[in-house]
Amino acid sequence: MFENVIDGIFSAVFVAAILRVTTPILLPSLGALISEKAGVLNIGLEGMMLSAAFTGVVVSAYSQDWFGFETGVAIGPWLGLLLGVCVSLLLSFVLALFHLDLKGDLFLSGIALNIFGSSATVAIMFELTGDRGNTSTLASLQMPFIQLPEFIRDIPLIGGFFFDVFDNQSMMTWVAFIAVFIVSIVLYRTPFGMHLRAVGENPEAAASVGINVKRIRYYALLISGFFAGLGGIHISMGYLQLFQRDMTNGRGFIALVTPSLGGGTPIGAMIASSIFGFFDALGIRIGSLEIPSQLPQSIPYFATVLALVIYALQRRISQRVSEMRTASGAGFDAAFWGSIQRISILHMLLMMVAVIGAVTSGAILSAPNGFGGAEAAAPAGLIIGAASIILFLIGLPFVRNIFSIRENWRASALVTIVSLGIYLTLFLMLFFQPLLALVIGLVLSAAVWFMIGGRVLMRGA
Amino acid sequence: MRFKRKGEQPDSAPDVSFLRKHLLLIVGGAAGIIVTLFMMNTLFDGSLEKMTGTTDWANILLVNALVGACIFLFVVELKRGAIRVLLTVVVALLLGFLVTFIFNLDSADRFGRGEFRVQVVSDAEPTENDEVDLQFNKRRGGEFNKPNVVAPVSEIAWTFAGRGGDVVSLLAYAKNRRSDVDLLVELRDASGAVLAAATSASETQVDETFDDLVSVKDAVIAGYELPADGVYTLYARPEEIATGTVLSEALSQSQLAFEALLLGPIERVNRWGVWIQDAITLILLGMSFAIVFRAQQFSLGAEGQLYFGALVSGIIALNSPNIPGIILIPFIILASGTAGFIYGLIPGALKAYLGANELVSTLMLNVVATRFFEMVLNFQLKPPDAGYVASAKFTENAVLPVIVDKTQVTVAVFLLVVVVLLSWLLIRRTPLGYEIRIIGSNLRFADYGGVNSRRTIMLVMAIGGIVAGLAGMHLANGIHRQLILNISFALAFEGVVVALLARLNVLVVPFTGLLYAYLRAGAQFMERDANVSFEVVRMIQAIIILLITAEALVTFFQARQKRADIDEEGHTVESLEAADMN
Repeated sequence: MFENVIDGIFSAVFVAAILRVTTPILLPSLGALISEKAGVLNIGLEGMMLSAAFTGVVVSAYSQDWFGFETGVAIGPWLGLLLGVCVSLLLSFVLALFHLDLKGDLFLSGIALNIFGSSATVAIMFELTGDRGNTSTLASLQMPFIQLPEFIRDIPLIGGFFFDVFDNQSMMTWVAFIAVFIVSIVLYRTPFGMHLRAVGENPEAAASVGINVKRIRYYALLISGFFAGLGGIHISMGYLQLFQRDMTNGRGFIALVTPSLGGGTPIGAMIASSIFGFFDALGIRIGSLEIPSQLPQSIPYFATVLALVIYALQRRISQRVSEMRTASGAGFDAAFWGSIQRISILHMLLMMVAVIGAVTSGAILSAPNGFGGAEAAAPAGLIIGAASIILFLIGLPFVRNIFSIRENWRASALVTIVSLGIYLTLFLMLFFQPLLALVIGLVLSAAVWFMIGGRVLMRGA
Repeated sequence: MRFKRKGEQPDSAPDVSFLRKHLLLIVGGAAGIIVTLFMMNTLFDGSLEKMTGTTDWANILLVNALVGACIFLFVVELKRGAIRVLLTVVVALLLGFLVTFIFNLDSADRFGRGEFRVQVVSDAEPTENDEVDLQFNKRRGGEFNKPNVVAPVSEIAWTFAGRGGDVVSLLAYAKNRRSDVDLLVELRDASGAVLAAATSASETQVDETFDDLVSVKDAVIAGYELPADGVYTLYARPEEIATGTVLSEALSQSQLAFEALLLGPIERVNRWGVWIQDAITLILLGMSFAIVFRAQQFSLGAEGQLYFGALVSGIIALNSPNIPGIILIPFIILASGTAGFIYGLIPGALKAYLGANELVSTLMLNVVATRFFEMVLNFQLKPPDAGYVASAKFTENAVLPVIVDKTQVTVAVFLLVVVVLLSWLLIRRTPLGYEIRIIGSNLRFADYGGVNSRRTIMLVMAIGGIVAGLAGMHLANGIHRQLILNISFALAFEGVVVALLARLNVLVVPFTGLLYAYLRAGAQFMERDANVSFEVVRMIQAIIILLITAEALVTFFQARQKRADIDEEGHTVESLEAADMN
């Protein structure tokens, strides 16, 4: 049973699914990134996505009436895309107007737009179809899928895999991943991008050199509305062909976190979105196991909270290290502190897994009927819980104080290697005998520790 | 000439100063009493016998008096700000009316579709002709512009045969009272020339001459003498709908809808109960947000805290069927508050000690809490034979005692009064409250002044959690009396509006909660009575938030008053605003 899931995870189909479910997180993430860079984080992404998704569905459905069936089917999706994005832009303009000109609170205006998007779509849907759940009575259309040319399959080694992953993906998926690079170029290689970042980092300084702060922020909010609109269109027209009430399902909020998790760069946001996509796709695939669907569904959200914590801690450590660099001047050992920082991240990630383990055990213990009855679930839950808490506690000193990684590097190494080794062993047990898995797991984790900084620590000590 | 002591009022105008000093109290008190009386009057149609005949009328009066007290507090606390809040609500309602109007623009369409019948009435001898569509005095019908069909019928032209000198009456009418179609009818000869036409029937025709007619919207060509033998055509279709009709129909439908919205909740006692019980939850949630926002912490965790409060109180209720209510209910209240406290502590600690963004963390924790609630409900609490996901009904001892018969207005009313008083004490009269206010107005200043801001931030989010947990308890043990999926229906966001409308003033939250719950209850009746979607009220809500936060709108409108304010009272609008916020 587990083997089936693991096989599924490492198949091209699964990777394709990750790309598909990453798209509606990635597009608004880019919007959030740009607005955040300009210092006006767009909280209203969710409402804008919903409005665009709904408009796209309605326009594409009605265009068949307006222009006749043939023409309607041909131009419907494009018209839906266009008007959906326009509606999203309009909402972001309202947000910008209320925040920048009428001095409204950005956060609360954003919430207002989310409420508006959620309610207006349902109200209009009710008027049009008499249904308040979804638009299944409307014959809405879909964005085109892109077929790859057959010869790609014949490329040796990677061709088949590559073809299976990228063939028959929605156009919007391609748009999303290409947009990452466009946004990268715009942010870091154009005057506009530089102004935008300057405005976000220090508005007064930017204003003092003659940048029109308000105008840049207007643009930033409009661009974020544009990406939110694209994301919304993908949700209702990219893979499905209907609109459901509140179908964005919190993606607009997840998108607010991914830029920070990705270190504030488009590529980083893409990687962070893919991690969420992975969890999303995993939640769908894991449905074949006998565990309550609520558990895998909630893990991405839980992981976001933990990731926020890691991000906050990491920012603090970087600040500390850079202070030390300023203080100690030429004597600063950059490589050494760099490896300390990397090892501290590893510590945090391991603790994050431990917390997720503890939560899982809590879920098992509080609803044993979902995990095959009280008798089977209770021991498993207790073991997972105890192990997670122990792994969490032994990691805690090194996260609380990164200097202890330097002072007690042997203990730190032991903790990382053992924790990581246990997780890897659990995973490898699916393929090998338990003992062999343990050996391979420990060797692998030692290698990881050595590569990311252990060698520097050993030399330094 | 005598000396005036310091602080003594000048003798010349003691009455005026008394009035000025207590104007707010008088206005507020009068408004409160008037509203209380108005509500009692509407509820019982102004008859005292009806009132005293109702069970628990004294409790209804008590609750309505509390509503009046909320209005009093609202006026006294917000002063001029009260006008702004009311104006905002009125503007938002007007915009909502506009939306309803636009949605109702299609309500005149019903005149253009529906089932109909046509008939050629004549006393003359029928002709023997099977080629034609209609025979004398035989009804034939169909449906015009039927929705959701490929080729709807938009007009008919049916033939009949007649001889010269036959006197015929052509009828086109709605099939029954369910069909609102407004018809016109024409008599055409074989070449297609129109011989006679009619759009509406007269009252006498409807009432006396022709039994089949339903209303004056039907069309009749009465007593026409056919000029010659031959085949004639009866042509009928729905009348063109005039723009005026469209507008007036939309207007009257919108008026109907808004009447249900604005007066619906106080028409009958059971509807009134829907309003009050909803208001209790909303006020608790609004209070939670008001406390947290006061420290400038944009935590939206109330939803998750509500779920945890409901879960804990539900589990206790399900597992203690034999404990008397007088012990059990206080215990449930404490437990749900504690659950909310703990679930509020998590994002509080993350924000205070690690700097994790509270907005995102609370939103994520909300989803985690919801899923956890669903999982426990689904796999642990649901009775094995239950057809849908819900726990068993709570036993009587675990349900909050009802104080008004036939409603779910419970002792939570008194709990609410206590919560409001305690929140007020906390914010205004304790050192912690002082620290919360300082942190809210200037975090750096608070740090500089020696406030332990981390501890305070953590605590304020946890305290907000207590109140949200109580809201969950009220939903579980007061309203639903069992645990159900989606127990909150995203109420938490509505709590944000309540807190904002009250300008984060805990004494005003009860009023704004009542106001907003009133709109929500009204929206339910609007949907039921006038077929306008409930979501219109959530759109109104969004507009309220936008308007209330847009500070520049206020400065724009108050700019003209500014000078007068300085002259009269010696301080500016800004200082008044600052005073309001305290």
